[in-house]
Amino acid sequence: MTKAVHPAASSDFRIMVGAAGAGLIKAFNTNKTSWIGLGLFLFVCLLAILAPWIAPHDPLDQNILFRLRPPSEAHWMGTDFFGRDILSRILYGARISLVIGLVAIAAAMVIGTAIGLIAGYYGGRIDIIVMQTMDVLLAFPSLILGLIVVAMLGPSITNLIIAIALTAIPPFARIARAPTIAVKEREFIEAGRALGYSDARLMLGHILPNILPEVLVMGSLWLATAIRVEASLAFIGLGVSPPTATWGGMIREGFENILDSFWLALFPSIAILIVVFALNLLGDGLRDAIDPRLRGEQ
Amino acid sequence: MTTLRTGILLSAVAALSLTAGVASAQKTTLNVGMGSADAGKLDPHIATTTPDKGLLHWMFNGLVRIQPGKASPEYIEPDIAKSWTSSDDGLTWVFTLREDVDCHGEYGNLDAEDVVFSLNRSSNTDTSAFAGDYSSFKSVEATGPYEVTITLANPVPSLLGLLVPYHGGNIVCRDAVEALGDGFERTPIGTGPFMFAEYQPQQYVKLVAHEDYFRGAPAIKEIFYRYIPSDASRDLAFQAGEIDMIYGRQDQTWVERIKDVPNTQVAVMRPGEMSVLSLNKTMPPLDDIRVRKAVAHAIDRSAMVAFKGPDVTLPAVSVVPEGYLGFTDEITTYDFDLEKSKALLAEAGFPDGVTLKAVHTTLPGMLSTIEAVQALLREANITLDIELVEHATFHANIRQDLSQVTHYSAARFPIADTYLTQFFHSDSIPLKPTAVTNFSHCDVADAEITNARTEPDAQRQLELWAEAQRKIADAVCAIPIFQNLQLWAWNSSLDLGHSVEGSLNLSPALTEASRFTE
Amino acid sequence: MTGFVLKRMGFAVITLFSVLTLVFFIVRVLPGDPAMVILGDQASQAAIESLRTRLGLDRPITLQYVDFMRGVFVGDWGVSMVSGRPVIQEIAKVLPATLELTFAALILGAAVGIPLGVWSAVSRNTPPDYVIRLASLLGLSFPAFVSAVLLLLAFSITLRWFPVMSSGHGETLVDRLRDLALPAINLGLIMAAYITRVSRSAMLEVLNQDYVRTAKAKGIAFGQILIRHCLRNTLIPVVTVVGLYLGILIGNSVLTEIVFNRPGLGRLIVGALNQRDYTMLQGMMVIYTLMVVGVNLLTDLTYGLIDPRIKYS
Repeated sequence: MTKAVHPAASSDFRIMVGAAGAGLIKAFNTNKTSWIGLGLFLFVCLLAILAPWIAPHDPLDQNILFRLRPPSEAHWMGTDFFGRDILSRILYGARISLVIGLVAIAAAMVIGTAIGLIAGYYGGRIDIIVMQTMDVLLAFPSLILGLIVVAMLGPSITNLIIAIALTAIPPFARIARAPTIAVKEREFIEAGRALGYSDARLMLGHILPNILPEVLVMGSLWLATAIRVEASLAFIGLGVSPPTATWGGMIREGFENILDSFWLALFPSIAILIVVFALNLLGDGLRDAIDPRLRGEQ
Repeated sequence: MTTLRTGILLSAVAALSLTAGVASAQKTTLNVGMGSADAGKLDPHIATTTPDKGLLHWMFNGLVRIQPGKASPEYIEPDIAKSWTSSDDGLTWVFTLREDVDCHGEYGNLDAEDVVFSLNRSSNTDTSAFAGDYSSFKSVEATGPYEVTITLANPVPSLLGLLVPYHGGNIVCRDAVEALGDGFERTPIGTGPFMFAEYQPQQYVKLVAHEDYFRGAPAIKEIFYRYIPSDASRDLAFQAGEIDMIYGRQDQTWVERIKDVPNTQVAVMRPGEMSVLSLNKTMPPLDDIRVRKAVAHAIDRSAMVAFKGPDVTLPAVSVVPEGYLGFTDEITTYDFDLEKSKALLAEAGFPDGVTLKAVHTTLPGMLSTIEAVQALLREANITLDIELVEHATFHANIRQDLSQVTHYSAARFPIADTYLTQFFHSDSIPLKPTAVTNFSHCDVADAEITNARTEPDAQRQLELWAEAQRKIADAVCAIPIFQNLQLWAWNSSLDLGHSVEGSLNLSPALTEASRFTE
Repeated sequence: MTGFVLKRMGFAVITLFSVLTLVFFIVRVLPGDPAMVILGDQASQAAIESLRTRLGLDRPITLQYVDFMRGVFVGDWGVSMVSGRPVIQEIAKVLPATLELTFAALILGAAVGIPLGVWSAVSRNTPPDYVIRLASLLGLSFPAFVSAVLLLLAFSITLRWFPVMSSGHGETLVDRLRDLALPAINLGLIMAAYITRVSRSAMLEVLNQDYVRTAKAKGIAFGQILIRHCLRNTLIPVVTVVGLYLGILIGNSVLTEIVFNRPGLGRLIVGALNQRDYTMLQGMMVIYTLMVVGVNLLTDLTYGLIDPRIKYS
């Protein structure tokens, strides 16, 4: 690719992304519940970012003379088995959940979409081999795959991200491939090819923006799954090691105290539920709006 | 959909009425809830973990035993041996056995040959984890069909203690060991009131009454020893009446809650299992004694006792638990002093603190202890990285010398020698052929420990043990944290047949006399 | 018909082979060296070597692969490194409990999900639709262990209707059902949430079809249209999706089994992972693969049966 092509390509890209963005906003407006989901999710993100400033206590600070206390003025959500402030741990735990979820899904999205684009664009044998591999991966229960990867690599934030990303690649590859096949037959791609545009430019500049909305919608739904899987792994005991606060780990600990101090498990459960529900609301509404089969009838 | 759900509800109601009908008969099945995920090794000469020992407790006899419900050697009484004599020099012991002791199942009468086989098996490093305890045994011989003579190389002050059914003193049946081979580890055969019947991985071990038990057929006919790792699930099951006896969570909050459950008997039993942090002094930065001292000064032991609850813990002073024969408190102690701790670290070249690695079990009672320790160390800029593994893996890993800091919680036969030899003699260092549990690689008191073992003068022996404890404390090989007492509870309809003050094997004794009263 | 079945089976066999190959490599390639994983990163070289020999890891990789594949098909899955018993035997012991739970959850999920989905679709954009959609979305958002804990608290502790521990092998049918009830409800409701959503969108699509409109125009009773024309066509996507959701079902069954102390594949695999029981783990992955590939095949075949448009070619 020569340098001269770049500005043109990027401006093409900008237009296309702009169109995709406009499409997304339209989708949002079609289904108002998406806005609610987005708002809730962004609010949680904000809380997570601000955790060091807004958390009332150090999340690791134990006060063993003040254990298992119910919610009070000093500790709005009570204290845990070690006398740590539950609210502060939830706020800090949000960072772990969100970082693991976002990074894993972003990675899966990029890798999966690239795989899908390439498979769909070139077709033929590459397509068959790649998609067969993806189907194989997809066939495996994601929690089980995550369990195995984490158990083998050891529970650390990086390894959790790798495990969750690995389970989320195939769906993105699938969702990127189908529209690629459809789009690549359209006239503007043929025209681009006639003009001598490179494959990469066609894929990135012309096909990607067309499939972007669907990929993003899928992303929000899988982010929900990723956060749930991370919590589940922590509940099984394969989360980030103590003393780091994670929601799943907190629920696990809370479950051990459920008979006398139910709030230990209650608040982190609500936190997970809110985030996952918000993301599902967001993704679900958008999907309804974008899904061509349902589009005409909203 | 409605029909299906109603169907399930109806069957549930039907089931409730059915079980209610059955429950009126005399209950003879005992369900016990144990807090581990699975059985480990069920060979009494290999098993070391609390869950395994607790189960084997009900299946084996020794030549002598400690009276059920007690934990102290002063209550030693005859078991398989009905009487014994010792020579004046204390080197020759002759035991006369009961003739009516039968092995479980089809393995027949137990005679002197079995006892000889069993004790030799206990002294063999290939077949026993406790071989070191029997190093003074010169020979064990059958001097009659029901007479066993033990010859010692040197006097052993508490020989009878080695013959109670605790570790190596459990008597196994020769034919069973030879017939089962490797399988013995999963189908242990002894002579006790209950015998092995079935093992379901991760679910339970089922024991049945040994009808030919020499003290009489047990009143309880079946015991299900259920593996329920989650404390909450176990408590729930106990509260719902699905288990009759429960291994408690090692925490005072548990005692306070469970005693409010109607018809519940709670036992806080001795001996305490002492939580000790072994510091591997061959691994940097712990090879620097200043770093080890810094760790010691960073641990607030009174806070640790307050954390677990004063009713369920005993303070720990020396590396030998208080109450053991030979214990001394005249040793160097390291007071809680964060400034001193930080200063020591800086002096050792770590002004910004150090990071230590600990492989640790997921066993909840121990886990909460190490998490509290972790928080205390954090105040002194000592980061404790915990790698969590399942309990059996933990035991395997620390024996492979994989942990810088090893948190071990154990009780031993209550004389100083067992503790000192197993945890602080250089022969016991992991990966050595004679390895036991010297995770700190401590070697400063070898002479005292060895000499004390053969010291005929009791007073001099105590002095040697005290000297060993002083040297170990000075070298900061290990830091004692506290002693956890054994917490159990059972339904009051279960009458154990004796009063429970303690249990060497860490589970309440279930004997032929134990029964349900309703 | 035979041609179709054969072709599908051919595909299944190919997938099976690829997944098994993947399993073989995942277990060996991922951590670098299974012996090292088992013994930990600071284990002595001698210990690692001896374990490698014991596991047969020092042999050429192609030979190991051939052995592994042959083992899978003749039923020789090695012995558990922890219990020393044949892996296949240990799995066979708990498999029925997991299958029982999964099937019960599927039936419950379909029994609740399909009617709700259809109802939601027929009454689109009215209050029942909103409520059902919101509820199903909530259902998807509930982590399985949270709902399990709630059910346990409500029905086992407070109401005492069901046992806390689900033994999975009660002696009578009634015992079994009591054991099964809560875990199955927990898993079934999650399944129902998924199935409701699929049924709803499938139904919406069908309602929009020309033949339905025509039927309506002809004045045929709506209920009759629903049963005669719509349901059947709604079932196709539902069946496909149920096949695809098997993974979700299996994942959630692991969590359910843990909370309810129910024996099954889930607890077995968690145990195997904790104890680094490498041979057991490999066996578990093989059994999951067999299940997933088997269900996909079944889905494909059922798909053919339900949809008359699919010619068996």
